[in-house]
Amino acid sequence: MSARETYLLDRCKLEDSHTLAVYRANGGYKALEKVLKGGMGWAEVIEEVKASGLRGRGGAGFPTGLKWSFMPDPAKDPRTRYMAVNADESEPGTCKDRVLLREDPHGLVEGCLIAAYAMRLDAVYIYVRGEYRKPYDRVQAAIDEARAAGLVGANVMGTDFSCEIHMHKGAGAYICGEETGLMESLEGKRGHPRPKPPFPAGFGLWGQPTTVNNVESIFNVPFILDRGAQWFRSLGTEASPGNFLCGISGHVAKPGVYEVALGTPARQILDELAGGVWKGRQLKAWFPGGSSTGLLPASLIDTPMDHDSIKGIGSMFGTGAMIMLDETACTVRASQVLARFYDHESCGQCSQCREGTQWLHQIFRRIEEGRGTMADIDNLERLARGMAPGKTICALADAAAIPTLAALKHFRHELVEHVERGCCPFKKGGASAAPAAAEVHA
Amino acid sequence: MTKITVDGRELEADPKKPLIAACHEHGVDVPHYCYHAGLTPVGSCRMCQVEVEEGGRPARVAAACRTPVSEGMVVNTAGERAHAARRECLEFLLKNHPLDCPICDKAGECKLQDYSYAEGQAEGHSAEPRRKLEKRKDLGDVIVLDQERCILCSRCVRFFEEVTGQAQLCIAGRGAHSWVDSYGGRPLHGNYQGNIADLCPVGALTLKQFRFQARVWNLRKRASTCGECSRGCAISVEVLRQGEVKRIRPRYDADVNRWWMCDHGRFAFEGATLEGRLAGARARGYAGLEDVPVDDAVATVRDAYATHAKHVFVASPWLTVEEGAALAALARGLGAELLLVSPPESALKDDLLHTGDPGPNRRGLTELGCAARDAAGCREALAGAETATLVGERVVDLVGREELAALPAQVRLFVLDTKPFEAPAVRVALGVPDWVERSGHWVNVDGHRGPIAAARPAPAGVRPTLQLLGELGAAAAAEGGAR
Repeated sequence: MSARETYLLDRCKLEDSHTLAVYRANGGYKALEKVLKGGMGWAEVIEEVKASGLRGRGGAGFPTGLKWSFMPDPAKDPRTRYMAVNADESEPGTCKDRVLLREDPHGLVEGCLIAAYAMRLDAVYIYVRGEYRKPYDRVQAAIDEARAAGLVGANVMGTDFSCEIHMHKGAGAYICGEETGLMESLEGKRGHPRPKPPFPAGFGLWGQPTTVNNVESIFNVPFILDRGAQWFRSLGTEASPGNFLCGISGHVAKPGVYEVALGTPARQILDELAGGVWKGRQLKAWFPGGSSTGLLPASLIDTPMDHDSIKGIGSMFGTGAMIMLDETACTVRASQVLARFYDHESCGQCSQCREGTQWLHQIFRRIEEGRGTMADIDNLERLARGMAPGKTICALADAAAIPTLAALKHFRHELVEHVERGCCPFKKGGASAAPAAAEVHA
Repeated sequence: MTKITVDGRELEADPKKPLIAACHEHGVDVPHYCYHAGLTPVGSCRMCQVEVEEGGRPARVAAACRTPVSEGMVVNTAGERAHAARRECLEFLLKNHPLDCPICDKAGECKLQDYSYAEGQAEGHSAEPRRKLEKRKDLGDVIVLDQERCILCSRCVRFFEEVTGQAQLCIAGRGAHSWVDSYGGRPLHGNYQGNIADLCPVGALTLKQFRFQARVWNLRKRASTCGECSRGCAISVEVLRQGEVKRIRPRYDADVNRWWMCDHGRFAFEGATLEGRLAGARARGYAGLEDVPVDDAVATVRDAYATHAKHVFVASPWLTVEEGAALAALARGLGAELLLVSPPESALKDDLLHTGDPGPNRRGLTELGCAARDAAGCREALAGAETATLVGERVVDLVGREELAALPAQVRLFVLDTKPFEAPAVRVALGVPDWVERSGHWVNVDGHRGPIAAARPAPAGVRPTLQLLGELGAAAAAEGGAR
């Protein structure tokens, strides 16, 4: 993996990478200048992003250029137009955007400005996860610096183009990372996702046309404009071009955020970058892209990390955040921990999600504690199928159901073993039914 | 209009409304909890899932309350997939529901019950303990909240936000750990609290006044009109067995009150009791007012009309159009002055429904020729009259009980009211039925004619007002003819 080309994290390694001076010295704001002063029309920018084949890095993998083209024509629809940048990174296992926000905030600012030019936006909102204090401060400082340098605000670089960038701090809810929940939250309401249709491009922030993009997606844009769509397509695969930031965590020797080309086999990322499974142990299971993507067995670790390949083995690429579980890990316990997360984070609007996430958690907990029955295992499957797919307003119910169904598909035998032995076989001493005293949600 | 096909039937649907509205307007029942035609659809209960086929794509299951109609859309509300989706939804909704139907006031008109019977499964799969929350949360003078029964449809929350414009309730907490509560735990306020008990699809919000009062299947419902202000909200008067009014609820009327009514009107029936009523007739004898046969009392009044000249009639704004017409005919026959006592404006006036005019039929009666006067104006006219006849419920109170008592004895006062009234001037008092005992029509402030229907029989010996007026009027006509 020696000859791999990188670009996303290159500047991050430099000292004071978050400052305008360092950013400029390393080619920063060149793409913006090319767009604004090189006579590129907004349509050409969108075409270039479309041609690059960039897919959203927030989880769904939707083509970014196509999403931008959904924004209505301002000649026909004179309403105010917004973009919200989703920096509410809260998918368990995911920590890639934090690096970019903290170490290379000008990259995001430049991306926002280009997106604003292409979509003829009036303002951009960056919605940062509340716990990301330093990243928030860094982006704010970058915006201030850029404003002072005439890059943000009225008449950017002395041209007719103007754009405001506002920051917003989330208050710590997973659901505010869902695009419509994020918009509600930005409006000052509870982060309750909105039913679609209407879609954000027609009815978004304050009812105006809005596009919601992930930090990493926007961060890719200046590179695409600077180096060209063809260069971008030379990286990654045909259907998923470019590099992505892989946050690898769990039972690995060197957890962290690594930049790899899409299509790189998961085993290569695990062994060559993350130093393999820790303590010389064997891999048992892994999540390819955050907790909402289906758990996969070790036997599938040779799969290339790109949207279609991972979909092909019955999971999802998600945010590319790989979570590794070694042979001593209990998949039931892992499922319980995740189920608790979704139980805690469901907004509670939709019946299936509200009650289902709690129910899944209760059942997983009982099985893990050795109080489960065989009927519980069948019930898990029935409930997960009752919650997803597409039965609720947003995808949180799916996010809870998918790992459940995957655990049932690949690790049913562990659930059965828990029930038959009346305890968790992976706990030290095979501890039997423990009391549920420490549970938060009794 | 957009053409769609629902369960094999072609319908015309309003493109501005969601699919569920089109189904309901054409009599196709789509189960639902959070959806209400008077509130913004939120699509959260997921109970209204139906199979939808549009744009040549294969059928999908979608929530009808958030699905816009499109030309040529084909909808199957009874398909196996839709039914399965609703069955699943019910299982989740029932997971934490206490199932205390035997002691729940909503039982019998509970949507959770109805749809569980229609679509649910007989057997539960949950072995988990149910959610423990406040079962008797006091929300003020009108409402009690049972948080355990609540299915978090948010209708009540939206009602205050959208209809009264004053947010009072919220959903606190998150996910399965959320509950409906008032802001800051404060009691609810305002004149429209009762509506949330009607809106609640389950038994979470109940009226204090109706708690444990009746099983709803024992109530007889009569379509009527509220008489507490000139809005004349369409209501349903619900009566237990032979006469006890237990509850009043709004009835949908697109032109008047839509789905709502105010608490003042909702609880007005508590004043319409059978106790303290004037049954039959009383007439002045040697020892003051004595019980007499109604026919004798009518004859006495008739004689007075025939022997004296200066007649004044004062109508209560609670008289129906029919009664008003009979009274006007009577007044015309006698050449009498016909007044309508006009109550002072109520402090309950608001922008939503309450007009501030406590009389329900002011418009109908003035159109019939009654001249509206305030209480002082009426008394002035009475003081100069030889015979004065007050007609209709509450008329004595409106003209002024004390002031009437001070009226000089030479004024021959005839009173047709629901309650007894004794004063030196009173020659005859005839009991009349009150508004839950009469039928007819009121004309509201906008000219809308609303029916009132007798929901219970009047006390024994009380003759209908219309009949009494007829008897007096027939006599007057006969006298006039003879003259």
